[in-house]
Amino acid sequence: MSASSPASPPNPVLELRDIHVAGRGQPRLEGVSLTLAAGERVALLGPSGAGKSTLLAVANGLLVPQRGAVIWEGLPRARQAGRRRRQQARIGTLWQELRLIEELTVQQNLNAARLARWSWPRALLNLLLPLESEACAAVLRRMDLDPELLSQPVTALSGGQRQRVAMARLLRQEPTLLLADEPLASLDPRLAEELLGLLLREAEAPRALLLSLHRPDLLAGFDRAIGLRGGRLQFDLPLQAIRPEQLQELYAGSGELVA
Amino acid sequence: MRPAPPLLVLLPALVLLPVLLMLPQLLHGGGWDLIGQFAWAALTPATDPVVVQSLLRGLGITAGMALLGWALSLLLGLGLGLLSSRLIWHTLSGAAAPAALIRRLLALPRSIHELIWGLLLLQLIGQRPAVAVVAIAIPYGALVARVVSDLLDALPTRGLEALRTAGAPATGALLTAIGPPLLPGVISYSGYRLECALRSATLLGVFGLGGLGNELLLTLQSLQFHELWSGLWLLLAVMLTLESTIALLRRRWSMPRRLGLAAAAVPVGSRGREILLALALLLPVLLLVAGALEVKPTDLLQWQPLPPLAPQGWATALALPWPSLIGSTLLLTLIAAGLAVGAAPLLLLAVAPWPWGRTLLQLLWAFGRLWPPPLTALLLLFVLQPGVIAAALALGFHNLGILGRLLLEGCEAAGPATEQALLCSGTTPRLALLYGRFSALARTYLAYGAYRSDVILRETVVVGLVAGSGLGSQLRESLSGFAWDQLAALLAVYALLTLVGEDLSDRGRQRLLGTA
Repeated sequence: MSASSPASPPNPVLELRDIHVAGRGQPRLEGVSLTLAAGERVALLGPSGAGKSTLLAVANGLLVPQRGAVIWEGLPRARQAGRRRRQQARIGTLWQELRLIEELTVQQNLNAARLARWSWPRALLNLLLPLESEACAAVLRRMDLDPELLSQPVTALSGGQRQRVAMARLLRQEPTLLLADEPLASLDPRLAEELLGLLLREAEAPRALLLSLHRPDLLAGFDRAIGLRGGRLQFDLPLQAIRPEQLQELYAGSGELVA
Repeated sequence: MRPAPPLLVLLPALVLLPVLLMLPQLLHGGGWDLIGQFAWAALTPATDPVVVQSLLRGLGITAGMALLGWALSLLLGLGLGLLSSRLIWHTLSGAAAPAALIRRLLALPRSIHELIWGLLLLQLIGQRPAVAVVAIAIPYGALVARVVSDLLDALPTRGLEALRTAGAPATGALLTAIGPPLLPGVISYSGYRLECALRSATLLGVFGLGGLGNELLLTLQSLQFHELWSGLWLLLAVMLTLESTIALLRRRWSMPRRLGLAAAAVPVGSRGREILLALALLLPVLLLVAGALEVKPTDLLQWQPLPPLAPQGWATALALPWPSLIGSTLLLTLIAAGLAVGAAPLLLLAVAPWPWGRTLLQLLWAFGRLWPPPLTALLLLFVLQPGVIAAALALGFHNLGILGRLLLEGCEAAGPATEQALLCSGTTPRLALLYGRFSALARTYLAYGAYRSDVILRETVVVGLVAGSGLGSQLRESLSGFAWDQLAALLAVYALLTLVGEDLSDRGRQRLLGTA
């Protein structure tokens, strides 16, 4: 248990060892290993179908691999349900389709990120009264959103606002591992750059960020990039060490442009 | 301070609190060993071929009555539905007023439960196979008519107008523009009605109108629990087969789900031939069943003379304790509806952490649907004093079975994404279900609950006849005493109550769905 206490020497936030995930016909992931240290911002690159989403699903515990080990902050997947939930509470995911609860207000959505730490009565009260308004307003401000939005239903928000609320919910969870599955895919370039900037800013030690990108044109600001193709790791290099041929090879034959 | 949708789903369960508080006073220790024997017999049903054969014969009669009653109700319902549609009248004659009149007239047969129709016809015509069929067909036909005309009048009329302005004759234009979009909704609703018809036929049997229900009642009353369970398991098999076949056809013909009460207009397309074939097959089956059950339409014309009225009957009818009769009927409705609507999500939350919990609940709910409420009431009376609570528990359990299945269907339709996201951030399975799935289905579920409450009000008569509460128990006395004046007064009050209830539930539903 000492591994998770802040005083001990920091374990990697995430460690994947020789991960195998079976798929129809060919495996979705084959022998993938990687390490994410505190403070690292890592981009996950690859053509569509490379296994990026599968890798993220393994990293956030949604998918249990057939082989290999997933280690979060020095600990493997807990067997006991309560411990497992505390582990999950430290993993934050920004989903591609956001997965906001459409019928609730912005504040209730933000507080939904605290459910892992809240008791039943509090979770029910959140459906009746505005709880912890100050903390909710604070995460909205960090995302450059007006705290006035707290009482709005999320259906009343614009696309960009929804994206930011989803990110604010991620912050409200206070995770150490930030995972994001193509969060910029459906955004216009200016908005994509802004949101990426906000995410990168939040990923300071003890946190770490693993973000999947469809196209390698927004790499500035990351420390490392990982190339995935056909379920296998092609490269895992600091940004400066990546050569253009490696990127071209990664996307070769996929018909997808390399910027 | 408006409660958010997932919380709204849990509010009806508040009715559990007073019920649980009152239960200890109502319990009497007498029959716990009987309940134990009953539960044990579930695992050891009788397999004696004589017993099974007689049960199978009963089941055949019940299924046959259900099928015939259902088919007749569809025929009636489609015809009357077209007749009470504003659109049809408007297109064919230019005036829509007669539609409203017919609609209002149809409210009367609809407001009276099939069991009352059955018992009335039993008195008038005597014990004949046709009685149960007609008893089902009358209220069901009126219900189908209402749904058909609602569907019709909610259809977009642009296509029809286009055809009319292009000079198409009225009937041709109606068939072309309205037929195809109407069909999926009608077929989907018919499937649901067939499920209901099986339940109704079983119920009618309990009151002596033929079929398995009667055997269930007799075995329960004579404490032959092993034989009782043989019948129940058989009925369960038939019911689940029917339900899954209907679900399969609904999916195959891409019909709207039941929870989406407003039917989406899905083109039938290539499945049209299959549907026609199914209809063509249905007709000879119906004729065969009618022959086997000896259902003869001419039976309906041979009325028995009514016994004479007692002197001063109307005075005694007026002297009945109306306020308490009506009050207990309403209380019964309220508690039963709260139990059914509220307990389903609560139970689903309770078993959320366990993978087998859901399967267990599905089985429990299947039994709820299967069990005729009067039998549940009789069983409850082994350990409970008769009264509103016992009746409400029986009625609530039956409707819980129906609402629970619907809630699960709704959960599946809501999709796993949000719940998964919550689970991944460490939320407990229960809260993830509450926030992740109940949010999306809250309004439609409660809207269906409002509709169901109105059905429950109509069904109070069924348990009232057994558990001694509400208008139902008075009705039984008046029926057995041939007090036709009292009966007429009771039926009028019943019809009035259910019509008011229907109006209230309609308004509630519109409010729930309108603000969605």
